[in-house]
Amino acid sequence: MELALIAAAPFGLSLLLATPFARITLGKLAQTILSSLVMAALFVWLISMAPRAQVEGAISQTIMWMPSAGISLSFYLDGLALLFGLLISGIGALIFFYAGFYFDDPKEHNRFIIWLLAFAGAMLAVVLAGNVLMMFIAWELTSITSFILIGFKGADDAAAREGAFKALFVTGLGALALLVGLVMLSAAAGDILHPEEEIRFVGDFASILQATTLHQHEWYLLFTILILLGGFTKSAQFPFHFWLPGAMSAPSPASAYLHSATMVKAGIYLFARLSPVMHANELWTNALLIAGLATMLVGAYFAVFQRDLKGLLAYSTVSKLGAIVAMIGLPNQSGLKAAFLGIIAHALYKSALFLVAGTIDHATGTRHIDRLGGLRRQMPILFWVTVVSALSMAGFPFLLGFVAKETLLDAMLHYTTSGTLLVMLIVTVSAAFTAMAGYMLIYDVFLGRPRTRLHFHQPSSWIRLGPALLALGSLSLGFLLEPFIVPILELAVPKSFELHLFAGFNDVFFLSAAILVAGFFLFRLRKSLIARITFPLSADAVYREFISYLEWAGTTVLQTQSGFVRYYLAIILGVVAIVLTVEGSRSEVFAGLQILPTDLSVTITDLAKIFMLVLVVAAGLLTVVVREHVKAAIAYGVIGYAIGVIFLINRAPDVALVQMLVETMATVLIIIMLGRIRADARLKVINNLWKGRHDHRGGLLRDLGISIVIGLSVFVFSLTALQNRAERQSIAEWHLANAKSVNTDDVVGAIVADFRGSDTLLEVAVFTTAALGVLTLLGRGRQQGGALTPSAARVSSLRETDASDGEDIQDATSLSTPFTRSVSFIVLPIAILIGLAQILFGGKGPGDGFTAGVTIGLAVSLWYVVLGYNEAKQLLPWFKPALIVRLGLIIAIANGLFPILINQGFMGHVEYDQALGIYDIVGSFGLHITSSLIFEIAIAIAVMGGIGIIIEAIAYPSERSREPAEALIGDSG
Amino acid sequence: MIDLLFALSIGILFGIGVFQLLRRDLIKAAIGFAILFSAINLFFMAVGAFEGDFAPYVSNVEAGRQTSDPLIQALILTAIVVSFGSFSLVLGFVNIISRRYGTVDSDDINKLKH
Repeated sequence: MELALIAAAPFGLSLLLATPFARITLGKLAQTILSSLVMAALFVWLISMAPRAQVEGAISQTIMWMPSAGISLSFYLDGLALLFGLLISGIGALIFFYAGFYFDDPKEHNRFIIWLLAFAGAMLAVVLAGNVLMMFIAWELTSITSFILIGFKGADDAAAREGAFKALFVTGLGALALLVGLVMLSAAAGDILHPEEEIRFVGDFASILQATTLHQHEWYLLFTILILLGGFTKSAQFPFHFWLPGAMSAPSPASAYLHSATMVKAGIYLFARLSPVMHANELWTNALLIAGLATMLVGAYFAVFQRDLKGLLAYSTVSKLGAIVAMIGLPNQSGLKAAFLGIIAHALYKSALFLVAGTIDHATGTRHIDRLGGLRRQMPILFWVTVVSALSMAGFPFLLGFVAKETLLDAMLHYTTSGTLLVMLIVTVSAAFTAMAGYMLIYDVFLGRPRTRLHFHQPSSWIRLGPALLALGSLSLGFLLEPFIVPILELAVPKSFELHLFAGFNDVFFLSAAILVAGFFLFRLRKSLIARITFPLSADAVYREFISYLEWAGTTVLQTQSGFVRYYLAIILGVVAIVLTVEGSRSEVFAGLQILPTDLSVTITDLAKIFMLVLVVAAGLLTVVVREHVKAAIAYGVIGYAIGVIFLINRAPDVALVQMLVETMATVLIIIMLGRIRADARLKVINNLWKGRHDHRGGLLRDLGISIVIGLSVFVFSLTALQNRAERQSIAEWHLANAKSVNTDDVVGAIVADFRGSDTLLEVAVFTTAALGVLTLLGRGRQQGGALTPSAARVSSLRETDASDGEDIQDATSLSTPFTRSVSFIVLPIAILIGLAQILFGGKGPGDGFTAGVTIGLAVSLWYVVLGYNEAKQLLPWFKPALIVRLGLIIAIANGLFPILINQGFMGHVEYDQALGIYDIVGSFGLHITSSLIFEIAIAIAVMGGIGIIIEAIAYPSERSREPAEALIGDSG
Repeated sequence: MIDLLFALSIGILFGIGVFQLLRRDLIKAAIGFAILFSAINLFFMAVGAFEGDFAPYVSNVEAGRQTSDPLIQALILTAIVVSFGSFSLVLGFVNIISRRYGTVDSDDINKLKH
């Protein structure tokens, strides 16, 4: 449970800080301190769990999630997870503190730490996950938060957008490979641990680590390659390293945290996590060693040619990541000590350097090395921070980086099985370049003379605290190996080891010293080196080529597209029709004929139904053949009413009532909308009703064929369903028997408001969301040049018709007569009364919250039809649909949540009148105040508001009434 | 017999809906969309409504009368309201298209391509 809390805490704080409440009440300083303290608390909490992890070996905690599917939230804390967890939380605390002074704009700061906190939570979840699937989800979350943080300035920085896309593209592709690899890994582990079962997925790390023969499994090659791909892309290994320099568009605190100290080490974490079961195979170790060494060399070499300070740091990070991966790849897990020590040392010095680079950027406005220089006087503390950190990076005695480099050289020298000379050459050259980069950071940035005149803006002095503490770590931890570093490493490294600050004047020491000297000579030669070097081919160029091919492919595919929506629809439905004809439909039709009813008797009620069905079909055909839209709309209304009558005959009074009200509403809506569409546009489409795009009728036969085949299939399907109707559902009998327990006579009402209340709540949410969709579509359209109305070119073919041609088309706006006006005035209060009656006495007869909402909504829409938008809006000042919808939903949710407090569960049934002792008083009016009544009221309010939103949006005056039609046609060219 | 006619009507109505959806006139296409909803609701009614001679009320049950199936009615009831919501969304689309492009003819607009 604690582990879940540790991973959840940053997410929780992120959500809290995202609320408007927190944004208003908590200032930038408060948010800074809060986020920093939370991370520091997590650090302390993790340390306090270390003794337990030491005793038990590993702490496993599981929260059942979907036990039936074997999926659970499981957490796993061993030495390895602890090491990473401490880095994430400890460095996180300093980064969050730094971020508070890095951003000047409180809004920007808030947005930044919301995402950075989300990242911290995801990263903690990666290392604490006890299950491969959970780790994968968290892994993807880190990619997504990283995407957002890299593109943080994306609104006005194209490089940031490109960098963010590149990072997500590369790590996302790798993650796809990883997912497949992890699934195969857990299947393989299942094979080994449960050989008796056909297929069994074992996803828990604790179990996977028991599958010691994994390296002999037949899928080993495949899942190893896939997992390696995932880790290599995430940890920026050659040739996937190029996204990391691109990620430097992120604000510096994010670069320091994600792209140096934590996220890029997720791949390394994965390798180290699986190393115990994977290392026995040479494929694994060799792949890690080779990719790691290549990355180490490429990164170190490219770093010194970067002129952007953060670019230099990014490539040197790439190099260090390669070194760590290579060490994990050493045979027999002999490099793990050096790898973990390297991770700690690197996290300390590199994040300090990134924070220094960020401060320089913040203070001078540039990160270009050629333009910087002589900053020592302005930034004395950061100068010393840089000296310590850069020398630690170079491996200067007796800093922590020195110990890390000694152990690295020692491991490489003594544990590589073959090609030791080549390996040592690569390592030495890379280390010399890294030392050179370290000297450059100190000299070119802080010493010497300023090369350009820079405007210097002194940042807050608190901004130095984070880098200074990190540098203090690099400086002192070398001397404090025994109390601090060794205990953590002992937990994480599976075998015993020795660690010394100074191991004596041995071969490793002399090599280390030679590297420092060689780095110095390279540093002296840097000007002539940089001038001469050109890069013939980079992985980034390959990536760009690839992307441009993708774009070319996209353009080519686009050539085949017509862009006309209904032809796509015709193709989709046509394929459906062909499949139905060719594949199953013919035999199904014959099968359908066999199930033709034998009983051909017709009762009197059947006659009424038949009459209504004929009406439905006739009206349906009418909607097709009539040209005028108003007539089609009315014919559609007839369909709705006839179906309503069928419901009534089938003893479904509630449904019939809703159906009739809703169909009225829908018909009214069509007619209102017709008034909002320009008459000439309607006339043109009416004239072209039976013409295809090229004025021929070929399309008509095609559409007819599609409709007939699909209609026929639906006929056969329905007939089969009707003939094989199941026995009455037992649940329906239960509803009938138990409706009395909720004090309702109307069983349908009881189902809607009580038995399936959660379902209804969702349906109401869907309905209001649809209303919201209408509002977004049409509400935005009101503002010319708003987000959804770019100045689209008018369609040129409109010139064919004259605007005055449309005058004879019936228009709904001609409905305002004295009679209709007085009717609409009378109808609204009556409708409100009817709605109230339907809610309050809905238990006794047809009608419920839905019908009440639609009834009132209908009366309101009558006003909009008869009086027009402006007058209706003026006369109904209280009718604010957006507020009404919110009110309805809030009541509905509160009513659903309240029963939880009294242990009735969500949407439980509560009899408020009995609880309040007024049962007899209200009962004498025939009322029952229960949770279902309140729910019905909430439904009514929400539905009424939703209809109001729709009507208001659709009835809003069209452009025609504001601009003359001639003007519209005039600018069509 | 009545089952056959119900199935036939549902099939025809569905075919009409599909045919209307394929018209170039967006208003007719919207009506076709709504007809599809009606056909589906009618189908659920036909397939789920068991011949009961009385409406599903507790009073009818207590009087020992055979009532129709309440569950399918509750399902259709909410489906009607939700389908109205989506229908109004379709109308909203038609409306915004006419505002933006000055036409309700889908053959005038091939912006999907760009």
